[in-house]
Amino acid sequence: MNALLHGCMAKVVLILVAGVCFVATAMARPRDDSTQKIEEGKRLFHARCGYCHLAGGTGTIMLGRRLGKDRSLLEERTDLNVEYIKKITRVGINGMPPHNRIELPDSELDLIATYLTRPASARAADTAAAKGGTP
Amino acid sequence: MGAVLPPRVSDRQFQKALDAFAGVVGKQWVLATDEDRGTFMDIYAAGDADQHVPSAAVGPQSVEEVQAIVRIANEYKVPLWPISRGKNLGYGAAAPRMSGTVVLDLGRMNKVLDVNERFGYCLIEPGVGFFDLFNYLQENKIKLWMSIPANAWGSVAGNALERGYGYTPYGDNTRNICGLEVVLPTGDLVRTGNGAMSNSATWQLFKWGYGPGWDQLFCQSNFGIVTKMGMWLMPEPEATLGLNIQLPNPDDVGWAVDELAPLRLNGVIQQSPSIGNSLRFVASATQRSQWYNGDGALPDDVLADILKKAGYGWWNINLRLYGYDEVNEAHARIIKDAFARHTKQEFQVVKWHRGEPIENSGAGVPSTLALQMINWRGGRGGHIGFSPVLPPTSEHVLKQFHSTKKRYEEIGVDYYGSFTLMERSVTNVNLMVYDRDDAALTAKVRALFKTLVADAAKEGYSEYRTHLSYMDDVALTFDFNKNALLRLNEAVKDALDPNGILAPGKQGVWPRALRTERA
Repeated sequence: MNALLHGCMAKVVLILVAGVCFVATAMARPRDDSTQKIEEGKRLFHARCGYCHLAGGTGTIMLGRRLGKDRSLLEERTDLNVEYIKKITRVGINGMPPHNRIELPDSELDLIATYLTRPASARAADTAAAKGGTP
Repeated sequence: MGAVLPPRVSDRQFQKALDAFAGVVGKQWVLATDEDRGTFMDIYAAGDADQHVPSAAVGPQSVEEVQAIVRIANEYKVPLWPISRGKNLGYGAAAPRMSGTVVLDLGRMNKVLDVNERFGYCLIEPGVGFFDLFNYLQENKIKLWMSIPANAWGSVAGNALERGYGYTPYGDNTRNICGLEVVLPTGDLVRTGNGAMSNSATWQLFKWGYGPGWDQLFCQSNFGIVTKMGMWLMPEPEATLGLNIQLPNPDDVGWAVDELAPLRLNGVIQQSPSIGNSLRFVASATQRSQWYNGDGALPDDVLADILKKAGYGWWNINLRLYGYDEVNEAHARIIKDAFARHTKQEFQVVKWHRGEPIENSGAGVPSTLALQMINWRGGRGGHIGFSPVLPPTSEHVLKQFHSTKKRYEEIGVDYYGSFTLMERSVTNVNLMVYDRDDAALTAKVRALFKTLVADAAKEGYSEYRTHLSYMDDVALTFDFNKNALLRLNEAVKDALDPNGILAPGKQGVWPRALRTERA
């Protein structure tokens, strides 16, 4: 292997390593603006949806009956997508009433949907924070 | 789909009104898509949501914006339906009485303006919910308690204005109103009681003001839009003592009312205890299919099995004493002695002292768990409430109970009732719970409702509150001197609201120009 090729490969390896590190960092700790959106979405979810959708709430109980306990807490679900959350919020489902754009403006619903569909890395960070450590 | 327009209003007029509204509040707060309209419909309607379709909604954030919207509504003859948070569930939710009406959603006006712990009151905007005020009191460590209805998703002011109630000694919410700020149908602004003095030092301290009192004229009313409400709150007591008992037989409700009524009247019991049948609890905790899949109402033997397995009585009473330990203990003995004359059932006693967790105290703690009952039949659940007011005697209560239960059974709906003892009356709330997609059943429910209104009227009972679809029926049961009260209300309506723009048809009161819309 000549020096030039060696150098190129070293650069590729460095880039790959750097890339992997970047991806790993990004997964572990989302970009600041994403983190802020997720945190704000969490605050809004607790304030606006928490009446029914936290542990022991009426929405949690109803979902538990329909989908099983493992899918009853919206915060823990990983099978939700943004469009579904927004649609159900606006049209309601079964016993859940629709929510209008005055009580819950689109900008706030967007943040709540962002929180409920946050990436695995943010969930890991959440769990770690809850346990008092870092991911 | 497009908007259902109000009577007297062309499409062009309507669009101009919406543009003018947007000029006041901003385009973001004028909602007029099909999806938006759907969010203001009666979510739990018994198949008649299409009778109460809003054309749009507008959301002001200040008194000045409300005044500007009202003036525009007058200019274009566009009717407005004010809501605080739109959670009047079982009575129509956010939907207007008359299709085409624009919903005036006051939910953005949600400030707790003042809380005075020393004198026990608050001053709030209409968008303040029970959870909001509760959190405010808790976060600021203010030792005042709220009176909260079974389902606490709604507005504190909205509930009091609709004469809702809770279960503490301050449970008659409308009675605790002390001073309102109101935008009149012409756009003028008035403050009631002592608030009529621009520098009043006692607006939330003295209810009556000087001259005619107007607070109650804005309750269940279409005479004005309440933009601020003063409300008395209960000072936290030293202690509470809860007495819970289950009564095994259907007719036990009779003697229970006879025993409790004098104790409620003479102040041994200061709150309004509710005597609820088992379904009130079972329907929140379980679903019908877990017990019974047959046709018709729940058979008595199935119900007996449910009571045994779920651990409820036919009737269930949770009453609460508030004040000082010694006094509570003395009052508890009086109540226990009264019940011992009829039953060997023992009271379960729950004691609370200041400083202990509030959940066990008998204070109003907001929850939406009561909403679970709409899931009783599964599917897309719904409910409607029929709520006549009776004299507090076994004769009246038993007759009404058996008559209503029989009517329920005739159409195959499970009996779901409670009797709440006020000082000199009993409010008998009966819920009809259904699957909204069961068209045959909801049609029967609608017919039953009219029958129940007529049955009650024959006995001299009125409803204290009703669903949009029956506001005219109930108003007409107040028939003394050829409905003189309705004529008075409509004379006042025409004087205050000459263009008939505010909540036409609410509680059966129609403005002159729209009286042809009466059902």
